[in-house]
Amino acid sequence: MADGLPTEFDVVIIGTGLPESILAAACSRSGQRVLHIDSRSYYGGNWASFTFSGLLSWLKEYQQNSDIGDKSTATWQDLIHETEEAITLHRKDETIQHTEVFCYVRQDMDDNIEEIDDLQKNPSLVTSGTLSKLLDSACLSEEMHSLYGTSHGISAKEIPKNDGEILLEVTGIEESQVKEKYYGDKTCIHTFADGDKDENKPIVEDNTDLPKRNRITYSQLVKEGRKFNIDLVSKLLYSQGLLIDLLIKSNVSRYAEFKNVTRILTFREGKVEQVPCSRADVFNNKELTMVEKRMLMKFLTFCLDYEQHPDEYQDFTQCSFSEYLKTKKLTPNLQHFVLHSIAMTESSCTTIDGLKATKNFLQCLGRFGNTPFLFPLYGQGEIPQCFCRMCAVFGGIYCLRHKVQCLVVDKESGRCKAIIDHFGQRINAKYFIVEDSYLSEETCSNVQYKQISRAVLITDQSVLKTDSDQHISILIVPPAEPGMCAVRVTELCSSTMTCMKDTHLVHLTCSSSKTAREDLESVVKKLFTPYAETEIDREELTKPRLLWALYFNMRDSSGISRSSYSGLPSNVYVCSGPDCALGNEHAVKQAETLFQEIFPGEEFCPPPPNPEDIVFDGDDKQPEAPGTNNIIMAKLESSE
Amino acid sequence: MQAPNKEHLYKLLVIGDLGVGKTSIIKRYVHQNFSSHYRATIGVDFALKVLHWDPETVVRLQLWDIAGQERFGNMTRVYYREAMGAFIVFDVTRPATFEAVTKWKNDLDSKLSLPNGKPVSVVLLANKCDQGKDMLMNNGLKMDQFCKEHGFVGWFETSAKENINIDEASRCLVKHILANECDLMESIEPDIVKPHLTSPKVVSCSGCTKS
Ligand SMILES: Nc1nc2c(ncn2[C@@H]2O[C@H](COP(=O)(O)OP(=O)(O)OP(=O)(O)O)[C@@H](O)[C@H]2O)c(=O)[nH]1
Ligand SMILES: [Mg+2]
Repeated sequence: MADGLPTEFDVVIIGTGLPESILAAACSRSGQRVLHIDSRSYYGGNWASFTFSGLLSWLKEYQQNSDIGDKSTATWQDLIHETEEAITLHRKDETIQHTEVFCYVRQDMDDNIEEIDDLQKNPSLVTSGTLSKLLDSACLSEEMHSLYGTSHGISAKEIPKNDGEILLEVTGIEESQVKEKYYGDKTCIHTFADGDKDENKPIVEDNTDLPKRNRITYSQLVKEGRKFNIDLVSKLLYSQGLLIDLLIKSNVSRYAEFKNVTRILTFREGKVEQVPCSRADVFNNKELTMVEKRMLMKFLTFCLDYEQHPDEYQDFTQCSFSEYLKTKKLTPNLQHFVLHSIAMTESSCTTIDGLKATKNFLQCLGRFGNTPFLFPLYGQGEIPQCFCRMCAVFGGIYCLRHKVQCLVVDKESGRCKAIIDHFGQRINAKYFIVEDSYLSEETCSNVQYKQISRAVLITDQSVLKTDSDQHISILIVPPAEPGMCAVRVTELCSSTMTCMKDTHLVHLTCSSSKTAREDLESVVKKLFTPYAETEIDREELTKPRLLWALYFNMRDSSGISRSSYSGLPSNVYVCSGPDCALGNEHAVKQAETLFQEIFPGEEFCPPPPNPEDIVFDGDDKQPEAPGTNNIIMAKLESSE
Repeated sequence: MQAPNKEHLYKLLVIGDLGVGKTSIIKRYVHQNFSSHYRATIGVDFALKVLHWDPETVVRLQLWDIAGQERFGNMTRVYYREAMGAFIVFDVTRPATFEAVTKWKNDLDSKLSLPNGKPVSVVLLANKCDQGKDMLMNNGLKMDQFCKEHGFVGWFETSAKENINIDEASRCLVKHILANECDLMESIEPDIVKPHLTSPKVVSCSGCTKS
């Protein structure tokens, strides 16, 4: 596909994650000829989001990836001249580990159905049994088959019924979780006999007094798979943060839409509660007493300009923020709110950092809505693509599925002058920006990485049910024992365009101490109950049910300094993968810093001309007077 | 039924192989000019064309050109998002560009559908007909058949150079979009935040909307 690719550029960027994409837009915008490539078939690297089937393919790729050894490295060696040296790049991605998948919903015969195009689907058929019949065995894809077919430890019996229906009776709850492990072990294919005759029929027949809940099967998740946009990283935008400011300033924001996070939640004494954070919230809160309300308002008001009142905290600069809060005439309830849900810090953080975080939170309140956070429609994975589009509009050239074999270094100058791609094509440039997962083991031999633990859950209800099922919530679950990390939970509803109707998409994130499942499973168990269990145990019905879960660890390279990489020429710049923080500040800072290093004095992402300024009316063929259509620009200015 | 002074805004995509004339068609249609110098358009996402469809209806068309990247078939989702229709263009003097048409159509259908799940309307443009007129003349029937099979709502022989059939092709596409829209529920979410358009003090709060 890439024939006709030019071979002379100013900047070659390898990797399409957020910092690389921001840099691509910035370079292209300032007139540089940019080639932006990624070895993967999708944009975003570890910042990507996937449809349900896309995510399964991603998982599969990691499994296969680890199986493939280095092969055919010979070809490019002949292309290196005597005056040159090569720095090889990494062939496999090792940033993702310990992937584990659990499926709690029924896997039927038609689980092997491919995610079908929205185009072919008749929506009215989705919940009826006819659809499964229509599609039954019609499109058994080899790929999907072997991927879904795993079912270690399942314990289910087929019970033939008189009328020929076959229902699954689940025996032994503990074992009913279908578990797929991607450690590369051989897996057997397990399919059930046709159990799809009557999807709507409840398995427990005499449960009329139970609240009605929609039954969801695995095949529905697959069929509606395109409704999902599942992010690999779970982040939000601070409404006064660096990313939102950059989006507005560069007008890249015209490519993106957002929703406000509607609720900040807290988990205390086994209960999920909403945190009051705005003045209105505080006064409308029913859990807090009048006295507490006043205390909280007084404290928050102080935090907004804490720098003006050093006497209030001077004596506590050596203490932790949690110690400090104890001295502030706040009930334990309120201390908990401030520490975990407003400052969102670890208990060990210092007083100053805690005050700073609290102030930042309060300042972000109310810019766009009632919480300080925004979530991008269609997922965080949209954001790098918005910057890529901007880069392309200014002439940047994009090639996905384009592997780079090595960097070519000129021995005399010590500078990198070209890359050699997987076609053996040499592409010259002045500057090279490389995402760190592309760097070889040799280059990274001195580097120590942190890890992020992630879980992605598909659930059937919100963790805090109210009149509306369209809330976007963030919940911090404090560590169960001291020394462990707090877990950040983000719950997305279907109107964020990241999950199908009647489901929620839940992301859990913490910095790793063990594998993702070991770090996060206890929180998952506190908040959710596996799908099958609730059919029997009515007490549990208050908790949302877990339909599907994925755990994985992602490498966090955000703290690595440039000097830890050995042997890189000075015109090769390194971008890191996603960090564990809630916001995107690290990526934006990194992109801006590198840009300024490469092009000192150039403006970073200035706003482009507005296409709507160029309007030709179809009838009178008169271009509109310039200046009359600067609406967006004007609004842009007014938002400063 | 229709309220007077109805305004519609549609995002249309212009897709096709390298050098088939996508940018030229947009230029001709929107700016009424043509240049035979090949030049990449820099810094513009889309061109806007205003149509006075009928006395009651104004249609504003955003024509989204493929940006440099997208020559290699790696369009970002941003490009497809919320488009209502598309032109797929090929060059009548280069058969290979016609062969790529199905690839573009499949790619489009896999990445974009209307909110009701149906595919968007697509019109096929056989461009540069000023150069190879007879190539298609005899194949008209075959082209009709091709369009039917591949789900195009119509096809036109066009020339950006001679200004042939471009208005007609656009009318055809808009007609189909308008017809489609009647059964599309206009479901504009009230609480979507567009930071570039929202000034900081105007907070759209779902709790404040009057019913
Ligand atoms: N004779 C003739 N030449 C045309 C016509 N349309 C475009 N061209 C020429 O074809 C060449 C390519 O046209 P462009 O409009 O740049 O094509 P494009 O599809 O935008 O190309 P890319 O953006 O590079 O993919 C230019 O030299 C145009 O002058 C036409 O209708 N007739
Ligand atoms: Mg063009």
